[in-house]
Amino acid sequence: MRTIIQGLVGGVIAFIIGAALLGIVRLAFGLSFWGGEASLVAGWLAFVIGWLLGVGVWEYWVREWFNLPVKKFEATGTSRYFTFCTDHKVVGIQYLVTFLGLFLLAGLLAMVMRAELMAPGRNYMSGATYNNVMSLHGTIMVFVGVAATVGAFGNYILPIMIGAEDMAFPRLNALSFWFVPPVAILLLASVFSNGYDTGWTGYATLASSTREGVIFYNLAFFTVGFSSILGAVNILTTVIALRAKGMYWGRLPIFVWASLGTAILSLIFTQFIALAMIMSLLDRVAGFSFFDAFAGGDPLLYQNVFWFYSHPAVYVMILPGLGIALEIISVFSRKPLFAYKWAVFGMMGVVVLSALVWAHHMFTSGMDSPLRIPFMITTELISVPTGLVFLTALGTMWGGKLILKTPMLFALAVIFNFLIGGITGIFLSDVPVDIQLQDTFFVVAHFHYTIVGGGIFALFAGIYYWYPKMTGRMYNERQGKIQFWWMFIGFNLTFIPMFWAGLNGMNRRIADYVPDLGNINFFTSMSAFFLGIGFLLFVYNMAVSLKKGEVAADNPWGGYTLEWQTSSPPPLENFDTPPEVVGDPYGYGEPDAKHVIFPAPAATD
Amino acid sequence: MKKDLIIAVILWFVFTAVGEYWAFNANMFPIAAAEEAVFLDDAFRLLIILAMPVFTLVLTFLFFSILRYRSKGDPDSDGPPMRTNTPLAAGWLAITTGLAIFVVINPGLKGMAELSANPNADLVIQVTGEQWHWDVSYPQYDLTYQRATQIALPADARVKFELTSTDVIHSLWIPAFRLKMDAVPGRDTSFYVTPTEIVDTEMDSNVRVQCAELCGTGHARMQMAVRIMEPDEFEAWVAEAKAMTMSGDMEGMDMGSSSDSMDGMDNMDSESDNMDGMDSGDGDMDMDTDSGMDMDSGDSDMDMDSGSDDMNMNSDSDG
Amino acid sequence: MSTTTVHHHHQSEGNYSKLTTDRVGLWLFLLSESMLFLGLLSARFYLAGTFRPPELNQALGVGITSILLVSSLTMFRSEVAIRHGDQSSFLRHLLITIVLSILFLGGVAYEWSQAFTHFSPNTVFGTIFFSMTGMHALHVLSGIFLMLLIYRNGRSGKYSEHNHWSVEATAKYWHMVDVVWVFFYAALYLV
Repeated sequence: MRTIIQGLVGGVIAFIIGAALLGIVRLAFGLSFWGGEASLVAGWLAFVIGWLLGVGVWEYWVREWFNLPVKKFEATGTSRYFTFCTDHKVVGIQYLVTFLGLFLLAGLLAMVMRAELMAPGRNYMSGATYNNVMSLHGTIMVFVGVAATVGAFGNYILPIMIGAEDMAFPRLNALSFWFVPPVAILLLASVFSNGYDTGWTGYATLASSTREGVIFYNLAFFTVGFSSILGAVNILTTVIALRAKGMYWGRLPIFVWASLGTAILSLIFTQFIALAMIMSLLDRVAGFSFFDAFAGGDPLLYQNVFWFYSHPAVYVMILPGLGIALEIISVFSRKPLFAYKWAVFGMMGVVVLSALVWAHHMFTSGMDSPLRIPFMITTELISVPTGLVFLTALGTMWGGKLILKTPMLFALAVIFNFLIGGITGIFLSDVPVDIQLQDTFFVVAHFHYTIVGGGIFALFAGIYYWYPKMTGRMYNERQGKIQFWWMFIGFNLTFIPMFWAGLNGMNRRIADYVPDLGNINFFTSMSAFFLGIGFLLFVYNMAVSLKKGEVAADNPWGGYTLEWQTSSPPPLENFDTPPEVVGDPYGYGEPDAKHVIFPAPAATD
Repeated sequence: MKKDLIIAVILWFVFTAVGEYWAFNANMFPIAAAEEAVFLDDAFRLLIILAMPVFTLVLTFLFFSILRYRSKGDPDSDGPPMRTNTPLAAGWLAITTGLAIFVVINPGLKGMAELSANPNADLVIQVTGEQWHWDVSYPQYDLTYQRATQIALPADARVKFELTSTDVIHSLWIPAFRLKMDAVPGRDTSFYVTPTEIVDTEMDSNVRVQCAELCGTGHARMQMAVRIMEPDEFEAWVAEAKAMTMSGDMEGMDMGSSSDSMDGMDNMDSESDNMDGMDSGDGDMDMDTDSGMDMDSGDSDMDMDSGSDDMNMNSDSDG
Repeated sequence: MSTTTVHHHHQSEGNYSKLTTDRVGLWLFLLSESMLFLGLLSARFYLAGTFRPPELNQALGVGITSILLVSSLTMFRSEVAIRHGDQSSFLRHLLITIVLSILFLGGVAYEWSQAFTHFSPNTVFGTIFFSMTGMHALHVLSGIFLMLLIYRNGRSGKYSEHNHWSVEATAKYWHMVDVVWVFFYAALYLV
């Protein structure tokens, strides 16, 4: 708690300094001291710095730049989770819990949207309110998608999987996380400024003419970008430099490869979302004209910059999930991961191709028509490396001994849902077909199938899979299975009808629709409420098992990867003796297979 | 496992056959009111036909494995250590690549070529989006409607829509045509369509203009009715509309819709007065004053500007 | 591969030393940063093609570019000096670098005051000019902050022949800022 109070105090002081500095400059130019949105922006940027210094960057880090003694980190027990803790396992849990909270919150907003869409006409809210709810739902969910899985398991599990003691830059890791709380607060605070109605995409020029709440969105996206980039630097460096002895590239667990691909994408592309947000803010607050067509700018520039990040971001959301699903499918089929190299090749292929597909979001934007052709080609082709993941999943299961426990059920659902998401993606990347489907509920269904059906189902798979490792307790298997079936059925009943609705004249982001679409929307809303209720079961299972769950063994699933070769939960430095990797992690069914040995610490001294 | 493989492949064939039967015969589309709609539906159907074997392949093997290989309780030994199968993986890669390239060509490139095959328009319609209504003009006939509620189109004529916007990005979508194009400030965009069916919004709500790009508070209801007429009926409508423009007679302007013609949309505008309850800052955009969304009062909303500047819009038309 | 130093945050059993790890991280960060500038550079050509207003002060452009290039050289000299343990040369060259970079910022500020009258930010070239030079100037500013920091610490003898990672990192960052400017200068003044 002290951490958060320090952060807030630091943030508020910095906000005042930032806004005042701008005020002084404004006075010098003959303007009023308080510049409205401009002052808010300056204040916010200062707030973030003040907040970070307050939560611990000053005490544990920056002091040493000034040759001052830094504080030693001491907290233990539950209170660690509320501090600037550099243990990657604590940071992983911080990410997981924070983003699960945000996920539930944004899910609640989805319920509000479905309530409004339950029947045509205006039911509970104005068009403006609906747009605010929809925008907030989208933005928060995108943040969850980008950061939850890789933030939680990329931090908690990945270093253990490669036999490291911690991330390469532990303090940077803590810093990455502590960017998140102010961003969440900022987004939620937008409602006090009448919200924003631009959707999570914040397209120009709507963003420059709409309510001032949109700057909260711009600043939040801009700020969360720092978190992504620093996190990516950390994961990449960790994998490059901190692998245990013998952990050659060809022996990396597939989840590590997936996280590596994710980190590359975040590292390269996140700068573009920062740039899109900076440009938007400059246009709106400082009178620049990047996107103002009537002053020589071009609104399509925004879409180009935005999607140059935001399409790769889709793979940021899904790649770690696919990695988790494959990891689980191998363990719970008791078979080696099939065609491992092909799966790695597929994931890296997605990473490379994802840089070349962004304009498929702009097929009806009025972009140069022939230019759409190369983007159609690249987008259709990106389904090829993605398809290798399916080959690996099916090949791994074939002839195996499938243990259908909750993590496996979720992992299999990832394959099922992502198949539907992937195949409908083929439709959307085909220019002629996309002309009809663009901006309809077909798109909404498609990306929920990939990001929720793939990414979020994988997040749940990962939570159940690693729950014993992270908490030292088993979750309740029966409740877990019930929650799986509840979520799986609810999800499909909610989103399958949306394909039909989109094909039949329902476009996205509308508070109201033609009465002909009333029945399908009523059905969708009911399914969505059903789906929503299912998450309460999950929260209950997790919360109760934390205290009352059976004590977990070190390796309850019989997995070969390194995180199962240490205690549950692992000690501070992950392993009592440094592991030495002697084989690949998927030798199920092979008589002499060995992934790791722990040489006796005889070499010491 | 060889036997398993044979069973699974047979199942795959069966499911594919069932799936393809559905794909070829299912009536999954709303009304198709233009030539383009028919071949875009065919394109969509072709994609389903092509995707079906892939879809059933994955599902068959997924569910077959789940049912066939599930173990009751914890198994006492591991599965067979199959590592990889290079011919299989290479074949998978080759086939999926081939499919991807195929769909790029057909329906992708083929469809794009077909959409832009004929650049000679019989009729040009200029539409300008503005929060939250459309301005429509027929430059060939010197007809301009601000805050239009309806678009009249002749059947069997090649119509070119020329779009732009004065404020934010909008998108003109007519679901029954399967076509949409963004209206972008500072940019001229266009698409061609050849309406075929004699239908209007009253008969089917998919025969409507719908804004498809989020444009703010009134986005959902930024719509226009669409009415497709026989060519001679359209001529008559033009003549009548022009006569009214000349005489400056605002009354009796009728684009063919009676006041109750837009039944399908009644529900939408009955609520429009509260649309921007939150948006008090934009008083001039207030929905209940501009009636841009009032689709069922088409006979009184057709503002026209006789001899006004708006007429100059047609100077750059190619009609 | 000794395990004697196994304590938290010290990865002795890893394949790489702490210094190498730091270097990898820094290079990745610089790669990421350069994407931001690449985006701005693309926006310049996307919005305005190769348009360049005649009012640009070419002499000033050449001047500040030369100053920045020389500052990169002096920063290099400074880093080489500390690598050889030459404290006084290290501090001297660092100080020169700081002075040069402040001169550069002064030049940009002067250019801005002129630019406002010819192409304000609400014209398309102004938008490009102010955003590119502004974003770069922010990085120069942070570079100056870092250099002042290591100058202060250097004076108290914190760095040595074997322990000067902060100096190395600052120098690399500074070189990136310079390289970026070379591209920006060409894109704004020369095309």
